[in-house]
Amino acid sequence: MTAVRSGAERAERGRLVRTHPVMGTVASAHVVGPPGSASPSGAGGGPLAVERAIAACFAELDELDRVFSPFRDDSAVSRIRRGELALEDADARVVEVAERCLEAAEATRGRFSAAWRGGFDPTGYVKGWAVERAARRHLAPLLAPDGVAAVALGAGGDVQALTAPGAHWTWRIGIADPRDRSRVLAVVELADGAVATSGTAERGAHVVDPATGRPAAGGLASATVVADGLATADAWATAALVAGFADLFWIAEAPVRSGLLVHDSGAIRRWGGGVEVVSMGERDDPLAAVA
Amino acid sequence: MRRIVIALLATAGGLVALLGYRTSWGATADVAALAAAGEPGGPASATAPPSSTGTSTGTGAGSGGQRTTSTPTPGSSSGTGSSSGSGSAASGSSTSSTSSASGLRDGTYTGSAASTRYGDVQVVLTVSDGRIAGVEVPVSPDGSPRDRQISQTAIPRLVSATLSAQSASVDFVSGATYTSRGYEQSLQSALDQAKG
Repeated sequence: MTAVRSGAERAERGRLVRTHPVMGTVASAHVVGPPGSASPSGAGGGPLAVERAIAACFAELDELDRVFSPFRDDSAVSRIRRGELALEDADARVVEVAERCLEAAEATRGRFSAAWRGGFDPTGYVKGWAVERAARRHLAPLLAPDGVAAVALGAGGDVQALTAPGAHWTWRIGIADPRDRSRVLAVVELADGAVATSGTAERGAHVVDPATGRPAAGGLASATVVADGLATADAWATAALVAGFADLFWIAEAPVRSGLLVHDSGAIRRWGGGVEVVSMGERDDPLAAVA
Repeated sequence: MRRIVIALLATAGGLVALLGYRTSWGATADVAALAAAGEPGGPASATAPPSSTGTSTGTGAGSGGQRTTSTPTPGSSSGTGSSSGSGSAASGSSTSSTSSASGLRDGTYTGSAASTRYGDVQVVLTVSDGRIAGVEVPVSPDGSPRDRQISQTAIPRLVSATLSAQSASVDFVSGATYTSRGYEQSLQSALDQAKG
């Protein structure tokens, strides 16, 4: 089993954390240096380079929010929705997102859709896509053998993590208990990858089943998906919430690594590599909860 | 759960875990793997002599995707599943000793690997406050290429109900989207401040 690193070893690294309000939530960037480092930049580059990269990362998120927000009258998405701008004439990033949304809708068999709110609205896709893009474009280049060991960018409960090849670092991502968000239900350890959770905890039942136009009623409090990239993880977490607690058939074909579902009752289902892992525990015994 | 506790008491740490594997072609096979505890890795280092052995089998036939139930009994279990699956469990050694009313000493116990048709499976038992807090399968089957892929996936590991985000030493918390206002009260905000 994976060795759990001691708190001491994890603390013996320089780490820079910056936060930035964007897209109606707050983004957090973490940059971790090599072992024993006082600063996150380690031997390569300097602290200034790290600060610049994080600033550029946040600037990109701001820029993408300006382009994609349906809550801004002057965004490309708003203009498309009002019929003032044809999709094919829009910014290349908008065209890319539209294509990705169509692909996600097809892959999830319609459980994820960019069109449920009437007209083009890729809001449910953009946050994950934007965070992954900003992390790969601005934070990933910091990674170096003797320098920055790992970088991660989170926003509103979704995380994209990246680690330098050969670096002995594992990101530990907690999965919040949707019924008590001061607690974590589970921990995912990964070097590179993304974790997205879709749920009804903070914003009410905001995930709509495209098939019915009504809030998803699969009994799920939250659905967490681990994938290589956050755009994929985010879209499939939404699809999982629509699919509901009883349906895990989709995991066999989905391009995701693993995940965890939490039922309104607190029951949990987990899977990895396309197979469900059933465990028996004091508080999450799926046999007792579902039978 | 009470029955499991009794089973553990009866077998000095013997533990039955039912693993359900859904495979990519939609069939389901349930493997009942018995692993007894050994190698305490938790906060308490138990020292009782190893003493437990057990066997388990899981067989059955049915339609895919059905969740199955089982009734664990001390030292053995049977799981009925959707496709046939059998697990011949390795004998395990237990090192748990009694320290609380339930007879379970707090700690994390790693079972010996059980050989199944899907490869070796290992079970980790966590005891907290004298009660079973969770059963984990941190070592996934490692036989076929497909199984190797399973091993490389980061399967979410359940943590004790009482564990805070800080003590779980997590870097980020994944949860349903919070607003910028909600961030201020969030675990993530606390983590960002603690680690920055």
